[in-house]
Amino acid sequence: MSYTQRETPILAQLCTFLVEDVYGELAARVFSVLARFGRQRLVDILRLSYLNRRQIGAGLVILVQQHLVARSSTDTSPTFYAIDWQHSYALVRCGRIAKLVEERFGSQAANVVSNLLTLGHTRISDLKDAYFPPDTDSDADLDDGIVNGVGTKRMRNGEPVNGVNGKVNGTAPGTLVNGDGHSNGVDSAHSNGTAKEHDGSIDSVKDLYKIVHKLMKEGWVIKLDEAQYLSAGDYHELARQLAIAEKCGGGEPTGTKQNAEIEEATLRHKRRIRDAWLEVPQTLGGEHKTNGSAYEHANKRVKINGDNDWSRGAFQDEEELVIRINPEKIAVAMRTEQLVNLVEQRLGPITARIYRIMLRSLETHIPRCFDEWADPSPAGKENSPIVEDDPQLCIYPEHIANLTTHLDICEGLDPQGICQITGRSLVKDKENPADKVLSQPVDPSKLSYHERKMVVEKHIELLTHDPFHFATWSGRGTFRIDFEEIAKALIQHELENTVEARKGPTGVKLIRALRKKGKLDERQTCNAMMMSANDIRDMVNDLTVQGFVQTQEIPKVDRREAKHSLHLVWYDCQRAREKLLHDTYKGMVRIMQRLAFERERVQSLLAKAERSDVVGNEDKYLTADELDMLKKWKEVQEKLLLQLFREDDLVATLRDFVGPMVSV
Amino acid sequence: MASAAASASAAPAPPNLKHEDGAPLGTRADELYDRCAERPKDTTFFQRDLSNMQVAESMGELLNMVQVLVDRHLLKPMTLDGESCWKLRSRSDAEKLRRLTADERNLYNHIDQMQKEGIWSKALRARTNVTQQVLTKCLKSLESKDLIKSVTSVKNPSRKMYLLKHLEASEDIAGGPWQSNGDFDTGLIQVAAELMVRYVGEQTLTSVPSSWNNYATTDRTAAIAQKKAEVQRLRDIEDAPPARLYRPPMHPGSSHKVYRNNAHYPTAASAAEFLNNLGVLKEKKVRESDMEQLLEMMVLDGRLEKANQTSYRSVLKATDTKVYNGFVDAPCGSCPVFDLCIDEGQISARTCAYFANWLGTESVEI
Repeated sequence: MSYTQRETPILAQLCTFLVEDVYGELAARVFSVLARFGRQRLVDILRLSYLNRRQIGAGLVILVQQHLVARSSTDTSPTFYAIDWQHSYALVRCGRIAKLVEERFGSQAANVVSNLLTLGHTRISDLKDAYFPPDTDSDADLDDGIVNGVGTKRMRNGEPVNGVNGKVNGTAPGTLVNGDGHSNGVDSAHSNGTAKEHDGSIDSVKDLYKIVHKLMKEGWVIKLDEAQYLSAGDYHELARQLAIAEKCGGGEPTGTKQNAEIEEATLRHKRRIRDAWLEVPQTLGGEHKTNGSAYEHANKRVKINGDNDWSRGAFQDEEELVIRINPEKIAVAMRTEQLVNLVEQRLGPITARIYRIMLRSLETHIPRCFDEWADPSPAGKENSPIVEDDPQLCIYPEHIANLTTHLDICEGLDPQGICQITGRSLVKDKENPADKVLSQPVDPSKLSYHERKMVVEKHIELLTHDPFHFATWSGRGTFRIDFEEIAKALIQHELENTVEARKGPTGVKLIRALRKKGKLDERQTCNAMMMSANDIRDMVNDLTVQGFVQTQEIPKVDRREAKHSLHLVWYDCQRAREKLLHDTYKGMVRIMQRLAFERERVQSLLAKAERSDVVGNEDKYLTADELDMLKKWKEVQEKLLLQLFREDDLVATLRDFVGPMVSV
Repeated sequence: MASAAASASAAPAPPNLKHEDGAPLGTRADELYDRCAERPKDTTFFQRDLSNMQVAESMGELLNMVQVLVDRHLLKPMTLDGESCWKLRSRSDAEKLRRLTADERNLYNHIDQMQKEGIWSKALRARTNVTQQVLTKCLKSLESKDLIKSVTSVKNPSRKMYLLKHLEASEDIAGGPWQSNGDFDTGLIQVAAELMVRYVGEQTLTSVPSSWNNYATTDRTAAIAQKKAEVQRLRDIEDAPPARLYRPPMHPGSSHKVYRNNAHYPTAASAAEFLNNLGVLKEKKVRESDMEQLLEMMVLDGRLEKANQTSYRSVLKATDTKVYNGFVDAPCGSCPVFDLCIDEGQISARTCAYFANWLGTESVEI
């Protein structure tokens, strides 16, 4: 199992809660069976749960549709189901994804993404039908696999996702990929969209396709592929079989050299298959000539009430394309946000905004934070010449400067530097002689191109000089961002934050000292921290108990007397990282439990408030006390959910930004 | 003292000296002593220095006089590069030495030999071959006579090092300027660290008043033009400049700190020079390595940060509020019974007092 898929009981618990919260009890029951027993066949799930076959089928449909469950796909042997932990955990990020997309591509794109999230993977034509509903109500002739679990779920994000009341329709799990992405119920979403004050509605099919095309080009939306359904092990087997076929021509590999070759080819195939998902179809863009007729086709198509025999428009291939959200891209965007936040705390808001522009300009070319299947770096990596930077990942200050017209870019810098660039000088302020002000104010919006570039470079200089090395000079006036190093520093930063909150500055000092110097005995620790042993000893004990530092006893004499042994303390970032990640999962579980408990306390009130006649007329039907309680409950809910999302930020930092670290 | 290694020779006194010359030699020896005492303290005398004083009439007589003084412990015999030389002792010290037993004198000489480095009691015993009881007794008596003192070594806190009373222990055993009595002098470190924060801050930060660039208020014509355009609504949305540039909120009259443009970041050397020139540490000189230790510690403390391998800069906090992270800001993150908390039972999310406090709601009573 890959590192990111490592399963822990606490993660299983957390994911079960998330599934229950979003997709209802039935899905959660099936999910928890898989969480407890691991990879199972359908019959085994049947045996292990108190559900009948039809119920399990319905539950699995939701889980498969949302990619929460991976399944093996060999035709001969029975299908196995296993949980995809990454995707299951990602449920907590639903709301955030829409928000991230909205900031980047506007509210229309966010609307599309919300629908994709609600529906799971979707054929483009179905998405189109959802936005521009055909004349007849297609609900009538659907099969009976309707699952109502989604109907009443609460969307836990600041911006409600449209289509909440939609029903996810499914057929038997076996034929999923081919066409039961047919989803409905977004018609309500459409009307919702227009009713909203923010203009997230989409007016024409052309716009919709434009948005989808844009999202695919940026890597937020990818094609669905059979291989995405494979669990990590099955996927490995698939790539390995391809590698063996390529290297040995069908025979079995022999010898260590060939094995190594196959290993390498396996990784290459894994990357190749995955990268193919990101390809963007050419014709989907808005430039196509038959847009108008495509809309008509859409109407005709459903009347035919079938899948495949409608008159083909020019979009034929693309309309059949099944798309989904790219989960890896989310982490890239979250990384951007966190780095910008950190810069804002350290260097101020203007520099942070410029950094945001820099990072977002790179995002298009970064499909993921780290490559799980990268070739292992050769042993003597330090000695080899530095690889040439990918020009797409270089940052050109002049490009960035062009994007800063909405910022007062002179702020956050030493006025002396501004003087140098603009040829002003610093003089004493007339009103307040102690202050030095510019002899002639500089209007940032009127800076010349050259001046603007120089000012932006000053900001980038601040970023490069920071101990985090937010940017690195990469020659010829360009900069690059060494994400891996920053991500590691970010993990360390969060660990230090945690220790500081729990143990105060001395704890952080200890961690930093150990990180810098390696294994230390008591006297060396005292010297590094310039404190007496008594002040440190308790701290070492506490942090050892919490799992942040490790101790080691090395006997010096044969009898292994403790008195004569060396007692070393050391700090392993990787261990601390895993410990904190585990604790954070647990913290999230507690929040979910508390949320359930708080909801339970006001259950009767909520039942009343959610009645269809009461919704919208709360003032009329609820008493003052009830309104008060409802308000209070909403506050509590908001507080808990906000905290849940902040813990998710921490999880992203610890888990998603950089691969397994090798340390100590 | 002379930079050479001093080696004492406890020469047994030739018993027949006084018989030959009698009292005059003794008084002339006193004369020699007095002449030597006129020189600056701690001068090392070589044979030609003594003969140049022209107290003795012949070389033989001079040697005899020196021998008398050595016997009376007024001169301390040493050798430098194979040449004999002597140092003066005060009469009171000599008096004390004269009253010592042979063992005590032997130990005293060994301790004297090590000068500032001091000698560990066990090493002393190995060199002198006396029994532990004798050693302990003699060292006690020497200490009571104010001739020697003991210090604890910084490197090996369990070792007692002995050195002469009037000497300051070397930094190897007493530690640098930051230590006293084998432990870190927290008060001194505190003061020095604060001075360093101020010094590095002056070097790397500059204060910017909020009104340093008042372009917005002065630019009236532009504002009027913009207003006009807004009223007329003729502009295309794409072309319109943003109504106002984003700038961080600032209170008028306040100021904030930013990093200096092209700052020269201080190094351990420049910081040490600054602190030494300030003269707040009396009688203590801060070397570059001591300063590096202090600055590195402050980096660990988060009071400074490293600008590169050798230089340091201040820590700037652009925002005042300290947020930790999502986990520790929630009750669970710093919960004392976090590890005991389970799904159901006495300690659980339902019964949690911390959650109740945080949310302002009530938990299930246990």
